[in-house]
Amino acid sequence: MSAVTLRNIRKDFGADARVINGVDLSIEPGEFVVFVGPSGSGKSTLLRIIAGLESQSDGDLYIGDALANEVPASKRGIAMVFQSYALYPHMTVYENMAFALRMAGSPKAEVLRRVERSAAILQITHLLDRKPKTLSGGQRQRVAIGRAIVREPQVFLFDEPLSNLDAALRQDMRVELSKLHQELRATMVYVTHDQVEAMTLADRIVVFDGGVVQQVGTPTQLYESPSNLFVAGFLGAPKMNFLQGTLSAASASSAEVALPSVGTLRIGADARRGKVGDAVTIGIRPEHVQLGAAGDDDHAELIDAHIDLVEYLGDHLLAHMSVRGVPHALCAKLGGPATALRNGDDARLHLPHAQCLLFDANGVAYPRIR
Amino acid sequence: MTEHRLRSRALDALTWTIVVVSLLPIAWMLLSSLRNYSDIAAGEQLVGGLSLRWQNYRDIWVNVDFFNYFRNSLIVCGLTTLISTAVAACAAYALARFRFRGSNAFSLSITVTQVIPGMLFFLPLYMLYRNLGQSFGLVMLDTYHGLVFLYVALFTPASIWIMRGFFVSIPRELEDAAVMDGCSRLGAFVRIVLPISAPGIIATATFVFLLAWDELFFAWVLTSSADVQTIPVGIRLFISQFQHRYDLMMAAGAVSTLPVLAAFFAGQRYFVKGLAAGAVKG
Repeated sequence: MSAVTLRNIRKDFGADARVINGVDLSIEPGEFVVFVGPSGSGKSTLLRIIAGLESQSDGDLYIGDALANEVPASKRGIAMVFQSYALYPHMTVYENMAFALRMAGSPKAEVLRRVERSAAILQITHLLDRKPKTLSGGQRQRVAIGRAIVREPQVFLFDEPLSNLDAALRQDMRVELSKLHQELRATMVYVTHDQVEAMTLADRIVVFDGGVVQQVGTPTQLYESPSNLFVAGFLGAPKMNFLQGTLSAASASSAEVALPSVGTLRIGADARRGKVGDAVTIGIRPEHVQLGAAGDDDHAELIDAHIDLVEYLGDHLLAHMSVRGVPHALCAKLGGPATALRNGDDARLHLPHAQCLLFDANGVAYPRIR
Repeated sequence: MTEHRLRSRALDALTWTIVVVSLLPIAWMLLSSLRNYSDIAAGEQLVGGLSLRWQNYRDIWVNVDFFNYFRNSLIVCGLTTLISTAVAACAAYALARFRFRGSNAFSLSITVTQVIPGMLFFLPLYMLYRNLGQSFGLVMLDTYHGLVFLYVALFTPASIWIMRGFFVSIPRELEDAAVMDGCSRLGAFVRIVLPISAPGIIATATFVFLLAWDELFFAWVLTSSADVQTIPVGIRLFISQFQHRYDLMMAAGAVSTLPVLAAFFAGQRYFVKGLAAGAVKG
């Protein structure tokens, strides 16, 4: 296993199409790093640069300690699993898995040993004589992974490998990929736009937008302490609720935010860099929005809301609500007695201040205080 | 439901009408090839019942050296098919995969060549061929290579378009995977893209072979000796100043259709798929 280090990587397609804008990133040996971001954010392009399928316009790429800028793809010690599996349709599963070893001139016995070992790991030994078109989606995915394992690479790259599978199979493969990582302890870089995959698989997540790294951190760090509005809104489903207001008081341990037509909310954040009157945004995840009286929580304020729609999802329900003076609908993820809610009901919202996040006018988060 | 059935029947009737109209000339050719010269000359192909004159099929090999034309056609069409398909494969791949300066102009020029009738350039072409022989000693008239060169130039553009559709439909990731596995770009083309494109290549080869096999105009103008002339020219020789041997002509026509039919049925599956891919993806 090898580390992967990116130093100020840029990629331009033509004069005014900068896809990646100065990415600095260090991936530790054996780490499982997930690149996540919306379409066009540059995550797949960066993966292809690491793979050697694209060359960067500027910056340096190190694999291990060696500068890899000019090293051909097949010599980088990297294997890649593609979104469409990219199995060679005219070859059997065995031939697909053995192709890279044969190209490298490995002895026949060695090829056989490594293919059989990889097939055993993925439990596809019985498929070795079959052609890809006779395999199911899940089997093809295993073969594609097997083709990567056979090469015993220093780094595995995955480009949205599960996006062509149905939901149930995707979940199974996700678990298997996690096990595979634990077994191989290889460095893995995984691109997805599916945040569930990102949260469940990653040791660390790298969030991309507009060719720029927005935040790097563990799933917990990114979910609980997003560094900006983009990361806060991108991770989590349903997405975080946002309320615009102005800063009415700021201290090292809390901030007060005036919301038009609602009142003032107190937020647990170090807002010293803000000034009274600054435009700010409060963020709160749907599962933290509570209904009913504030009760004994003296850090909470109550907001009048109207229930527009209730979605029943078995173990919980989603209530979509409108609040006077707030342009966007708010969403609450509720369980238990709240299941009595009906469309058209009026309710009072309770936003626990310790669960609220505060962002400045540029979308940058104020440090959170719990 | 009734209206649907009526429409279905009407479509069936139309289909069968088209099939019959298309097959009628072939049936007429087969019928005429088994009739007496005198019956045909009198316009009485349908007279004579079931007495079939199979001797016509022997006479075409005896009276005219039909085997010679057959061999010439196989050589010219075989070489044309081979060269045209190989050139088209490389050009089509480049057009499907790479954006380069002038690629759009190149694509357009390929299309433009297809709308210029051969009649327009046959005279300059003839003079060019003659001058190449007279001035540079490069004999092009009445040679295999002269005919093959022209056919390759004539049929390659259409071949490029058919194949391009195939190459566009092959996921680029396959080539990326091959590059990751240790292939060069050329290696990925040869080891991965070409084998996968076999249906497209067979379709294109069949298409070129059929076009070359049927070509009469340039073969008639650019060749003058029986050593080089192809079947369409040979068949034309059954018409002389004093006698039109339609019976032998039709027999020769029927025989010359056999390799075409064989080529078509061998590559039929790929042919239809290939043309469809070209139409949809091109």
